[in-house]
Amino acid sequence: MIVKDIIKPTVVCTAVALACVYALSHVQKITGPEIIKRIKEKQDTALNLVLPGFTIGEKRETTIDGKEFIYWEAEKKEGIAATRAYAFLAKSPGYAGDVDSMVGVDEKGTILGISIISQTETPGLGARCVEVAGQETLWDILKGRTPHTGTGEQVPFFQEQFKGLTLNSKINILKLGDWTSDKRESLLEKNGISALTGATITTTAVVRGVESGMMRLNRALEESAKEQPGGAR
Amino acid sequence: MEIKVFVTILLSTIFINNYVLSRMLGLCPFLGVSRKLDSAIGMGLAVIFVMSLTSFITYPIYKHVLVPNGIPYLVTIVFILVIAALVQLVEMVIKKISPALYHALGIFLPLITTNCAVLGVAVLNITSGFAEPGASMGLLKSVVQGFGGGIGFTLALIIMAGIRERLEIADIPENLRGVPITFITAGLLALAFFGFSGMKI
Amino acid sequence: MNYWKEFRKGIWERNPQLVVGLAFCPTLAVSTSVSNALWMTLAASFVLIWSNILISSVRKVVAKHLRIPIFITIIATFVTVVDLLLNAYRPDVYKSLGIFIPLIVVNCIILGRAEEFASKNGVLVSILDGLGMGIGFGLTLVVLAVAREILGANKLFGYTLIPGMKPAAAMIMAPGAFFALALMLWGMNAINARKKRK
Repeated sequence: MIVKDIIKPTVVCTAVALACVYALSHVQKITGPEIIKRIKEKQDTALNLVLPGFTIGEKRETTIDGKEFIYWEAEKKEGIAATRAYAFLAKSPGYAGDVDSMVGVDEKGTILGISIISQTETPGLGARCVEVAGQETLWDILKGRTPHTGTGEQVPFFQEQFKGLTLNSKINILKLGDWTSDKRESLLEKNGISALTGATITTTAVVRGVESGMMRLNRALEESAKEQPGGAR
Repeated sequence: MEIKVFVTILLSTIFINNYVLSRMLGLCPFLGVSRKLDSAIGMGLAVIFVMSLTSFITYPIYKHVLVPNGIPYLVTIVFILVIAALVQLVEMVIKKISPALYHALGIFLPLITTNCAVLGVAVLNITSGFAEPGASMGLLKSVVQGFGGGIGFTLALIIMAGIRERLEIADIPENLRGVPITFITAGLLALAFFGFSGMKI
Repeated sequence: MNYWKEFRKGIWERNPQLVVGLAFCPTLAVSTSVSNALWMTLAASFVLIWSNILISSVRKVVAKHLRIPIFITIIATFVTVVDLLLNAYRPDVYKSLGIFIPLIVVNCIILGRAEEFASKNGVLVSILDGLGMGIGFGLTLVVLAVAREILGANKLFGYTLIPGMKPAAAMIMAPGAFFALALMLWGMNAINARKKRK
């Protein structure tokens, strides 16, 4: 009775589960390295994007307040003088999940560029944070021509506006509609960015992520300076 | 500090990111069991219980079994089996301990296995953090998220059941009866809940 | 066995969402853009067809009371395969579908077809059944996505339609999804009612 009621079903179900997991482990063997490769590629592209022209040093990982923090040190040589800069990964919860971005800053805390690596925001609203401005319309594609390229605004307009802002003071979130290059001056003056229309949560998430990332970068740099007193500059 | 985080998670899962009306999870039971207020309450309680319990069990399994062994890709298969087994177990336990409760909740329990809100909360617990940027979820926060998700589901279900009981006597165009009018009502509810979405906590 | 009939039924007469009333969660949540809808259709159909094949080929060996756990295990396996493949080769799609990939496991269509059809019928006809149901599921999803993307984002396939026009953002959010699907269901009911009268 026990054999029939308990052991047999258990054995059958376990066998099925084992077979499935065995098959999956083979799929994982093929896809696993590919996944890791893609993540690294994406990170490298983002690094080069936010720190253009810099030689990027090794990836450093620390824990700040019990949370993982990843940053890079970078250097650019101009004649004898060398400029230092840092890049770090910022993460913050948006509307539909985490928004991860790569942020490049110089020694004074000015943003050199940001690049949103991954997001799961709503298409048409929050997902516009990675959208490229001056995009061609569907009709243009159908007709086979690509106008609107004359303005040269093929940059992701939301990310572009972070360039040149300082992280030493709070970044202000303003509602001025979509960013265009003629708004740059006035926004830089106010140290602010223009929020995405209808997606304030996403905008706030990116900004807060960048700000708290900067805080952590400062802490991480202090700590590493403490650890190597000889190397402190 | 910690209390504030829990309140944030609760408010967020109940109102701002309501599982049914904003994330659109668990719609099958939302449509199926919202005809009568009594059964809606019963189903809601069962879902709150199972979602909290699922969060309590799946999070440690992921954190302490799957990740250390390097097999996080098995998460889907493990979670769904755990949930199915859990629902069965809860059913048996309730049947033994409290027949009265079993009569109230019993028929809803098997339905819960395929309720995507339950698997949804288990997956959300391990993929998306809450409150502070970069914060990992932690067991207690997961359970709070499961509990809040269940309450949000119940809230939507009860409101819906209340409306549908009144809709019964309304004169609705024939082709709109049943599911279509329920979806229109749900849309109006979602519009109302949409108002919470800009809320700062 | 009428193969053509088994294939065709999922597309119209027994359309998973519009007639049977299953799988509303992925339909509403993923129809925010047409490309999301198409990828979701592909992913769900892949799981549906393969689980139909496997289940119909083991249907005579599996004991009755062990059916459900074994079916769920098989379905979850294929879902994980889809999950891994998308993550490796289309990470953008993987990100934008998000938790709705693992949630294919609890897509009622798949377990429903396994239980109702594949566990009682041969392999070939089960494939056709899965294919038809997959197309039917996808058709509803894509039509809904086209409507929502045009109205809610002023776009189609990610390209702007009318430059400078402000879209109705509510269509992209949950309320619009509910309204649009309600209209589709209404239309379907009206068509079927008219057919019946004739």
